[in-house]
Amino acid sequence: MISRRALELATAVLTGSFGLTVVVSSLDNGIGWSSAGVEAGTFPFLTGIIIVLGSLYNLVRGVVPAATLASVPIAITSIELRRLAGLFVPAAIFVAAIPLAGMYVASALYIFAVLAIPRRQSVPRALGMAAATALALYVVFERMFQVSLPHGALAAAFGF
Amino acid sequence: MDNLGELLHGFSIAITLPHLALMVIGVLLGILVGVLPGLGAPNGVSLLLPLTFGMQPVSAIILLSSMYWGALFGGSVTSILFNIPGEPSSVATTFDGYPMARDGRPTTALATAFGSAAFGALIGVILITFLASWVAQVALAFGPAEYFAVYFLAFASFVGMGGAAPIKTIVALAIGFAIAAIGIDTVSGSVRLTMGVDELVKGVNFVVAVMGLFGIGELLVAVEEEFHARAVSSKIEWREVFRAIGRLPRHSVALLRSAAIGCWMGITPGGPTAASFMSYGIARRFSRRGRYFGTGEVEGIISPETADHAAGTSALLPMLSLGIPGSATAAVMMGGLMIWGLNPGPMLFVDQKDFVWGLIASMYVGNIVAVALVLLTVPVFAALMRIPFVIIAPLIVIICVVGAYSVSNSYLDVVMMLGFGIVGYLFKKLFYPLAPLVLAIVIGDKAEDAFRQSMLMSKGSLGIFFANKLVTCLIVAGIALLLLPLVLQLPRLWRKPASAATETTAQETAREKVTI
Repeated sequence: MISRRALELATAVLTGSFGLTVVVSSLDNGIGWSSAGVEAGTFPFLTGIIIVLGSLYNLVRGVVPAATLASVPIAITSIELRRLAGLFVPAAIFVAAIPLAGMYVASALYIFAVLAIPRRQSVPRALGMAAATALALYVVFERMFQVSLPHGALAAAFGF
Repeated sequence: MDNLGELLHGFSIAITLPHLALMVIGVLLGILVGVLPGLGAPNGVSLLLPLTFGMQPVSAIILLSSMYWGALFGGSVTSILFNIPGEPSSVATTFDGYPMARDGRPTTALATAFGSAAFGALIGVILITFLASWVAQVALAFGPAEYFAVYFLAFASFVGMGGAAPIKTIVALAIGFAIAAIGIDTVSGSVRLTMGVDELVKGVNFVVAVMGLFGIGELLVAVEEEFHARAVSSKIEWREVFRAIGRLPRHSVALLRSAAIGCWMGITPGGPTAASFMSYGIARRFSRRGRYFGTGEVEGIISPETADHAAGTSALLPMLSLGIPGSATAAVMMGGLMIWGLNPGPMLFVDQKDFVWGLIASMYVGNIVAVALVLLTVPVFAALMRIPFVIIAPLIVIICVVGAYSVSNSYLDVVMMLGFGIVGYLFKKLFYPLAPLVLAIVIGDKAEDAFRQSMLMSKGSLGIFFANKLVTCLIVAGIALLLLPLVLQLPRLWRKPASAATETTAQETAREKVTI
């Protein structure tokens, strides 16, 4: 279970640290006024400052119990969290597998895994859908629109 | 009357067989992404973008804009039949649309929604026809300072009228600006904000951000609540369609008011979502039957639908004539324009007459095509909703991954897309607005260039933003919009001295924003 407050805090910290990174790295480009006009780092520097200040405000808003936050104490219940993970974790593994297995093999495996492993579909049907997905991707991108999707290190090793 | 002549010329471009075919394809694809939760108009249009590179710009924009109309209509179908908004902008349609459909009048609800949506779109297009070239003419005389002032006004109106928490809007905007700044700086040529990652030199493409923010983010929100498609009957009785549309003129006050709200929110970027909510809220307050709202009132469907489509359509006006998109989808289309080698803004009306008027004429035709197609295909797309979400979700993930990859054949883009997905989920969950974020990514560079050019002209003095009446008005209006949420807070502050401590910090932070 994740409370609304924790989620607000986490997001504010996330945006704030992004803002801080922007501020620090824009200092490399120089801020302020030079003979060539406004220096390259100035604009990002200001946006970074705005992000940091805004995030601080949101952070304070998240800690101080305000009426809006009190009305929704729980943002994500444990069931919802499991559903979120059920979608995101396989998707992340799929993306991680692309450099090795290539887009076609990875997407086929991905479809097969999410349909067959939780027993949402029978194994033959899941196999069929997985094959159909990879084939559709191949026909649409490689053939019709001439966009080459990554074939992966494995395919390269086999000489494709 | 020049405009009408140009418009007729535009019709001769829009009403050709290939373009009509593109409209049909675009509208059907649009309804598809509108119906499917997790896919919406912004990422639908950006998915289609790489496929348009070989086309004539006018054909490409007809395809993309038709998809936009289709998506706007498709979102209403699921709102009414399943109580699931297919698009964020059709959330307000569920309030009265679904109850009416559940009470056994699905045809009435759908026909009312489509009829008023078409009316809203028509008003939007008429506005574009008569106003766009005039605005462009005025804008031809703009210098960098005026441009920066217009950008500033656009961003400020998100803060003042977007409906989300103002500071959250500002944070979203600023993050968009920072993302836009990543890569090579167009003015000095130096590399910025790459944090040591060489691949980031080319910058972060907005398509990657849109895929993650709207695609993966929306999918994560949708998966949370396992919805069952408890569909009401999706059969269309044609006689009732015409009867319902025939009854619309009785609600002409609501129609006109909602269209006005929609056009206003579309031009000053508030976006269709904010427009539909605002229109629904105002209708509930002013309608004689306001207390029946939420139980299947006709005006409860008319108001959000008219405003939604009026806003969606008129969002293209500032995009065409000023180069400032009025909604997230318009921002994506504008990105497309730049990729096709066109320069969005007033020069379009001088250099690319065929493109501009072909597009405007296609809006008239495209919306008629959309109404006809959406009525014809309601049963088909309603059947689509019965496919379990567990099958659709991984397919959408794959579409987003492939879409992000094909932008520039970069694996890093795919990883970033996934990251944007998490950000999109968090932002949606906590009511950070996404449209300003996308808008800032697309036009952040241009706003910055305008600012730096005006600083060069004035040798570093901010006085250039108050140098003439026009630019002063724009800047003052922008500052007023920034301060609007603060002013609205003041009476509450006075009534509740107990919470004064937090409110003053709010004031201070907000003032800092303005002075920066």
